[in-house]
Amino acid sequence: MPTTATSHDPLVNPVHDPDFLRAAMDWHFSPETGSPFWLSRARLLDFDPRTDVTSFEDLLRFPNVANDLRTVQLRDLIPKGCRDSKIVGVFESGGTTGPPKRVVVLQEWYDLLTDWLTAVLDACDVPYGRNWLALVPGGPHMVGDLWRGVAARRGGLWFPIDLDPRWVKKLVSERRYEDVAAYTEHLFTQAETFLGVQDVGVIMTTPPMLERMAQRPKFMAAMEGQVESIQWGGAHMDPDSRSVLANDVFPKVRLSGGYANTMALGAGGVERPGLQPGDPCIFDSFAPFVSFAVVDPGTGQRVDHGQRGQVIVNHVSKWFLLPNNLERDMATRIESPVGHMGDSIADVAPVEEFEGQEVIEGVY
Amino acid sequence: MSLIIGDPPIIDSLGPFGPRRMQVRVPVVDVRDDTLAELSLVPPVFIEHALAALGRASPLPAGDRLAALERAGRLFASDTVAGLSRDEYHRTVCRSTGVPVSVVRFGADEVARHMSEMRSIVKLARPAGAVSDRRDTRTANGSGLWVRRGSVFGVGSSGNYPGIHAGWLEALALGYRVAVRPSRQEPFTPQRLVMALRSAGFGDDHVVLLPCDHGGADALLRGSDLASVFGGDEVVARYADDDRVFTQGPGRSKIIVSADVDWRQHLDVIVESVAGGAGVGCVNASGILVEGDPRPLAEALADRLRSMPSLPPDHDDAVLPVHPEHRARAIEKYLRKVAEGAEPVLGGDGVVASLGDGSAVLRPAVHLLPDCSSRTLGVELPFPCAWVAPWDRSMGVAPLANSLAVTALSTDESLLDELADHPTIRSLYIGDQPTHWSRPGMPHDGYIGEFLMRSKGIWTSSQTNPDGNRSTTTQARSERLEIA
Repeated sequence: MPTTATSHDPLVNPVHDPDFLRAAMDWHFSPETGSPFWLSRARLLDFDPRTDVTSFEDLLRFPNVANDLRTVQLRDLIPKGCRDSKIVGVFESGGTTGPPKRVVVLQEWYDLLTDWLTAVLDACDVPYGRNWLALVPGGPHMVGDLWRGVAARRGGLWFPIDLDPRWVKKLVSERRYEDVAAYTEHLFTQAETFLGVQDVGVIMTTPPMLERMAQRPKFMAAMEGQVESIQWGGAHMDPDSRSVLANDVFPKVRLSGGYANTMALGAGGVERPGLQPGDPCIFDSFAPFVSFAVVDPGTGQRVDHGQRGQVIVNHVSKWFLLPNNLERDMATRIESPVGHMGDSIADVAPVEEFEGQEVIEGVY
Repeated sequence: MSLIIGDPPIIDSLGPFGPRRMQVRVPVVDVRDDTLAELSLVPPVFIEHALAALGRASPLPAGDRLAALERAGRLFASDTVAGLSRDEYHRTVCRSTGVPVSVVRFGADEVARHMSEMRSIVKLARPAGAVSDRRDTRTANGSGLWVRRGSVFGVGSSGNYPGIHAGWLEALALGYRVAVRPSRQEPFTPQRLVMALRSAGFGDDHVVLLPCDHGGADALLRGSDLASVFGGDEVVARYADDDRVFTQGPGRSKIIVSADVDWRQHLDVIVESVAGGAGVGCVNASGILVEGDPRPLAEALADRLRSMPSLPPDHDDAVLPVHPEHRARAIEKYLRKVAEGAEPVLGGDGVVASLGDGSAVLRPAVHLLPDCSSRTLGVELPFPCAWVAPWDRSMGVAPLANSLAVTALSTDESLLDELADHPTIRSLYIGDQPTHWSRPGMPHDGYIGEFLMRSKGIWTSSQTNPDGNRSTTTQARSERLEIA
């Protein structure tokens, strides 16, 4: 496997979590190497990260500064120590709850993440040398840019069809379901045209699109006999839907999912290899660079293994720092693999909103 | 809280490839908040997958469908289905909905009767000029051919009364494949029906039971060729322009009494219209229009309704609906809000009678309205609740517009003509017949066949068959015998 990292740097090739965290805090909070963004915020902290952050739990002492990423100047996010790094791109998070948040992705991180994802796909028997059809968002979202590289690493041609999730969410919020249907049709028409004439071994898309495929006999017929693997991500998939998709809709295809997070620079969790369709859908993080904590939304305390709570995602790497980012996702806390920093998570679902019961006229 | 010993039974979805149990389950609780069962909910993708399978399936031949419906009706009416005897089924529905057991029994019998008489019912909506089978010799002169508008009929059902399930059974008789989303309060009747239908010969991919949440309900509506939904005004308005969706909303059924008739002679019918079937139906009268002084009628009605006993729903003498107490209080609060400006004649000091076990009876209410143009006249609530208002001829029949059923106590021919002509009054009963009366074969908001089917023009050459021997297949013969 190609590696682009410097083998002696504990921040790039971490061996021991406390060393890794110390190196990371030194890097991000030293005036020579830290980013203008973090150096300016360091003054507001009631602790000194360089001496006080030595364990995973210590990361949760940081304030959640994710909201600042809606307005911060992008160049201020780049650590001074990385000023010679090549920039892969600027990406935005969903942008459905308030203005979008932005991050900068540097080449070394992109390569490291690609290495990891390549290993994960190896464990999932995702084929080499087969082409990828991706119904995924393009810019400003990160997924397309990231996975293009992953597909290339496997010798596959990458054919993306742009899916604009913000437009769909806007249509749904305005109850413009006919427009949603027309847009979906537009996407599938493009995909079916490609699938009908090209060899495709891997499909990548979102759970809602997977569900709609089940209603497209033409798409299903074109997949038959050639598609070996489906990668999904970017939206929630409940355990029952996952089981129905795996057992009923795509019984001959290997499905695996990811919990990608733009604020963690496109990393997040990947489905633990070897899970069966009825098992909880467990995501292990790209530790120690990305780590999860599952906390009680009321108290902020971590819940016990097997309990549900709200997901915190930490990103700690040489190229970016975003600890203690509370996401609008609930999940079950699962024991992480030996040596992994933080929790693993299962059955991720959106934070539920309370539905009141009201009296409606009429008897139905 | 549960009084059930051991785990409550789980109601599985009945999909096109057999029963299926999901991880997501919701409790079905009775009016005292005891758990009766757990309902396994399917996700939208299961629904989409199931509907695709239904769309691929071929219906049974018409004759076989009707025979299977008759068999299923007998199973439904008398057998143990899904582990529940006939009596246990009635009591379970009664406990979950709070509808008196006698009313549940009547509603279930009505469904069974519908199934046994489907052979004649299913013909009623077909235009006189249309045949059911293209092999019918009448097509030689050109005729109409009565055909389905689609293949898959999706049903979002309601739980207020077992009788509401009669409509989709007709769709099944017409050759539709049917997907039913049961109400989360009362999944027992559609479960019993689907299991009985399958035992009687319908395939797993002909009729399915798909319990689901709101997301699933949307998928069912989107993915079916035609659909029906129950709901309030908002639901009705949402699908008003969608000719694929048959909506069943508030009935706003009414009685009109003109001055030429002495209402005292018809008080039984008025009382029955308001409170029959515990007053939970869209066909129960909520508005009563009286030519002349409405007060004596309102008071006489109140006197009769006042004597109705407050009993738990599974008591054989129960006649009023029971709800969880908090729900009953919410309905009462709503009543007080909408009754502002109306004069209470009965129920002004409250309509909730607590049963002391977490549940409460909703007792009847009668209010006088100053005039019949009030919007309050159309307020329909799930218990005997009547608004009595003065009416005079100058108003015409406009105050009766948009009523599901109207009972006219009048001998005034021109008034009766106007009521009969009015396009938004969907049923009209002239004389001593309560608004909620029906029998198998009566239109309920039209014949559902008018929605499910249409006539296509057909002409067949008498030379079509090389043998010159038309209509000889067994299936063709049976279709004509059974349906035509």
